[in-house]
Amino acid sequence: MKYAMLIYGDDSQWVDLPDEEKAKLRAEEMPRWVALFEELQKADPVVSGHELAGRTTAKVVRVRDGERIVTDGPFAETKEVVGGVFLADLPDLDEAIRLAAQIPVAEMGSIEIRPVVQ
Amino acid sequence: MQYLALIYADETAWDSLTEKERRDVYARYTALADEMRTAGVMAGGNELGPTRDATTVRVRGDETLVTDGPYAEVKEALGGYFLLECASIDEALDWAARIPAAEHGAIELRPLHVEPEGGAS
Repeated sequence: MKYAMLIYGDDSQWVDLPDEEKAKLRAEEMPRWVALFEELQKADPVVSGHELAGRTTAKVVRVRDGERIVTDGPFAETKEVVGGVFLADLPDLDEAIRLAAQIPVAEMGSIEIRPVVQ
Repeated sequence: MQYLALIYADETAWDSLTEKERRDVYARYTALADEMRTAGVMAGGNELGPTRDATTVRVRGDETLVTDGPYAEVKEALGGYFLLECASIDEALDWAARIPAAEHGAIELRPLHVEPEGGAS
C-alpha cells in the first residue's frame, strides 16, 4: 500500500531565526533525516520526499463564480502546518507508523499517515 | 522552481456525489493532468484516501502516540496534490486555479524548500 506521510510542525519560531542558525540546526538534524530516507528507500526504492518552504511563502487560490481570489498565507490557520511529505509504498500501516515515528518532527509536531488512492 | 499545490475540499460533498458525478470529476482531473504534462509542468500528483482512514503519529518523550483520524478535524480537508514545475508563482497560480476543487474548495500553493546559497544541499 502506498502511504503519504504528511509532516505537520510549528514553524512560527523557525522562520524568525537567522539563516546561519537555521543552517546549523538543519545540519545537526540532517543525519537523522538521511538515515530515515535510506530506510524508506530500502522499503520502496522510488520513495519520494518533499520539503516545503515556510508558511509565509504560501498562497491560496479559490475560484468563485469564475472569479479568481488569491490570498497570502497557508489555507489552515492552525499552529502546525504541513511542512513536508514523504510518499512510500510500504507493507502495512504498522510499518508506516514505525517509520513515521522516526521523523524528527514527530517529537514536536504530528505526522498524519494517509493511504494514497491508486 | 517546483510548487506543491495542496487541494483542500469538503469530503462530505464528495461522499454525496453519484458514481456518474464522480466519474465526471475524475475526467476533469485527468484532462487537466494531461494538459499539464503536455505543457511540461507536471512533476507529480496523488489523491489521498479520506481522512477517516488517516492515522496520526506523535512522539513525546520515549512514547509513540498513535491516534485514528487526521491531524486536525477541519471542514475542508487535504485530499491530494499536484507537484508543478513552473517558472514563477504566477504561472503556478494559473494552473492551480484550474484544479476543479478550486471552484468549491481551496488550493494552497507552496514552493518547495530551496537551500540558500552556500548552505548544505
